[in-house]
Amino acid sequence: MALNIAVLVKASLDPNMIRTRGDDVDTDSMPLAMSEYDKNAVEAGVQLKEKHGGRVVVVSALTWGPLAKRQREYEQVIREALAMGADEAHVVVDEALVPGDPLATSKALAALLEKLGGFDLVITGEASMDMISSQLGARIAALLGVPFISYARRLELGDGVVTAVRDLEDGYSTVRAKLPAVVSVTGEANKPRIPTLIQIRRAFRKPIKKYSLADLGIEAPSKPRLEELKVIQVKRKNIIIEAENLEQAAEKLIEALEREGVLPKA
Amino acid sequence: MAARVLVAAEKPEQLQGLAGLVKALGAEGEAVALLAAGREEAEKAAYSVFKTLYYVEGGGRLQPCQLHELLEGLYAEHSPVLVVGAATKNLTDALARLSARHNLPMFTEAVSIQLSGDEVTAVRQVLGGRARARLAAKAPAAATVNPAVYAEQAQGLAAGAELAGLRAPAAVLEETGYEPKKREAVDLESAEVVVGVGRGFRRKEDLAMAEELAQLLGGVVGASRPIVADYGWLSEDRWIGISGKKIRPKVYIAIGISGAPQHMAATVDSKIIVAINKDKNAPIFQYADYGVVADLYQFLPVLIKKLRERLGK
Ligand SMILES: Cc1cc2nc3c(=O)[nH]c(=O)nc-3n(C[C@H](O)[C@H](O)[C@H](O)COP(=O)(O)OP(=O)(O)OC[C@H]3O[C@@H](n4cnc5c(N)ncnc54)[C@H](O)[C@@H]3O)c2cc1C
Repeated sequence: MALNIAVLVKASLDPNMIRTRGDDVDTDSMPLAMSEYDKNAVEAGVQLKEKHGGRVVVVSALTWGPLAKRQREYEQVIREALAMGADEAHVVVDEALVPGDPLATSKALAALLEKLGGFDLVITGEASMDMISSQLGARIAALLGVPFISYARRLELGDGVVTAVRDLEDGYSTVRAKLPAVVSVTGEANKPRIPTLIQIRRAFRKPIKKYSLADLGIEAPSKPRLEELKVIQVKRKNIIIEAENLEQAAEKLIEALEREGVLPKA
Repeated sequence: MAARVLVAAEKPEQLQGLAGLVKALGAEGEAVALLAAGREEAEKAAYSVFKTLYYVEGGGRLQPCQLHELLEGLYAEHSPVLVVGAATKNLTDALARLSARHNLPMFTEAVSIQLSGDEVTAVRQVLGGRARARLAAKAPAAATVNPAVYAEQAQGLAAGAELAGLRAPAAVLEETGYEPKKREAVDLESAEVVVGVGRGFRRKEDLAMAEELAQLLGGVVGASRPIVADYGWLSEDRWIGISGKKIRPKVYIAIGISGAPQHMAATVDSKIIVAINKDKNAPIFQYADYGVVADLYQFLPVLIKKLRERLGK
C-alpha cells in the first residue's frame, strides 16, 4: 500500500517572540515558526511513510502578512517539514487569507487538497500555537466529506483503515475509520525528529509550489474581522534571590513569602 | 420553533455555566440546550433559562460525529443566531464540523461573547495566552466557552426547562476500546498554594519532594503538560495551562518549569509566583515575583527543612 499522505503545516506567530506597539501586538514584526504540534503531524506522516511506503506532501496556507516580506520565513518553515522527510510542498499565498481564520483557511486548504487529489490521509496538529482554534481538521474533513478523528495520540494504518487512540478529558477512546480520513494529532503523539544538516540541505531540492485562490478556482472566503489584538500585561516583581549558599537562599525566600503574607502561620 | 441561542454540553455541570452565558446574553427563555447524557443527568440541570433541554435517550458516551448529527437536527429546527458549546474536545470537534457545514465563523474558547443585532463579538486568548483578540462577525456564529467563565452569572438559577429526549444517531466511526483516565479529587482551581512541577524532575518518584513541600504549605501539586500528558506521572486534574486548569492561588511555586506562555497564561491570577530553575535564562523568571536559580534536587531538601523549622512542623 503506497500511501499518499498530506500534512498540514502552519507558519505560526511564535508566542515566545511577542512584539508590541503600545498595547497592540505587532504581528507584522513577529517571527514565524512551524506550529509546535504541526511537527507532530509531520513526524506522524513521515513515520507512516517509512513503515508503509508512499509519499508525504506538505500543504499550507500563509496567514500572516505582510506577504511581501514573509516569503523567506515561510519557505524556511516549509523546508523544515521537508527536511523532516516530507517530499514536496504546496502553499496557498493570497492576501485574502490574511490574517488567518479557520473559516477561510479551511476552504482554501480543502480546495487545494481536492485539486491535488488522491490523499489517503490528511494529518494536522491538534491546534496551532498562535491562534489555538483547533478547528481546521474538523472543517476540512466536513468540507471534503470524509471521516475525522481528533486529538489522536496514537495512529496506525492497516488495510485501508486508520486506527487511532483519542486523548480525551476523561479517557482514551480507540476508534477506526476507513480511508480516506483526516486526523489531528496531539503534542504527545510522537517525538518530532530534528533534521540533520544533510537533510536540511537536501530539502532545498524539494519542490514548493505556490497557489493563489484564483489558481484554486475559489473566491475570497468571508471571515471574522480581527478588530483588536492586545498583549496581556502582567506585572511581576522579577526579584532573583541572591545568596551565598542554598540555606541562605531558602531563608530569604521564606522571609519574602512571609512579607507577602502568603505563608501559613506557624 | 426558533430559538436565538443553542448551547451544548457533555456534562450537567457544564450546563450551569452555559445557562450563565444565556443570562449574560439576555437570551433567557430564547435558548435551547443539548446535554449529551441521559434523562437523569438532564434533570440536574434543567434551568429555566432554557426553553427546552434535550437529552439523549439511554445516555452513553457520544462521539463527535454523533454530537454533530444531534446539533445538525437542532440547528435546522431552531435556526439559532449563536451556537455555543462547552469547550471540551468532543464539542470543539463537533461544533467545527457544524460550522464548516453551515459556513459559520467559530470562536474557540471565547472568554466573552456579545450579541448585538446581527453582530457577534468574541474575545479570545491567543498566542499561548499572552494576547487577547477581539473578533467580530455577522451572525449566525458558533463558539466554545469554558463554562467556569460564567460561574458568576450562573448563581441562583431556577429549574424549569422542559425536557425532551433525542435518539442517539449511529456513529460513523467504530469505537473499539475505551479506557477511563484516573481521577483524583484535587481541586487545583481553588487551592491557595500550588506547587508546580515540570520536566526539571527526572523521575516520578522525585515528585515526592514537591508533594512534601505542598503538604507543608497546605497546598496541592500541579504540573506542566509533559508531566501529565506525556509521562503520565500525574492525573489530568493537575495539569496547569491553557489546555488544562487555570489557577488563582496566593502563591504558585513553579519548580523545574521553563515558563512556556501556554503554561503561564493559566497562572496570571496568582498573587505571588515563585520560580525555581537551574537555568538563569529560563523564561519563567520573567513571569515570577521571586526566582531562585538552583538545581531543584539540591535546593528543595534545604527549602523543605527550613520551612519545617519556620512552621514548627
Ligand atoms: C497549543 C499548545 C497548548 C499547550 N498547552 C499547555 C498547557 O496547558 N500546559 C503546559 O504546561 N504546557 C502546554 N503546552 C506546552 C508548552 O509549550 C511547553 O512545552 C511545556 O509547558 C513545557 O513544560 P516544562 O516547563 O515542564 O518543560 P521544559 O520546557 O522542558 O522545561 C524544563 C525546565 O526545567 C529546568 N530544569 C531542568 N533540570 C532542572 C533541575 N535539576 N533543577 C531545576 N530546574 C531544572 C530547565 O532549565 C527548564 O527550564 C502547550 C503547547 C501548545 C503548542
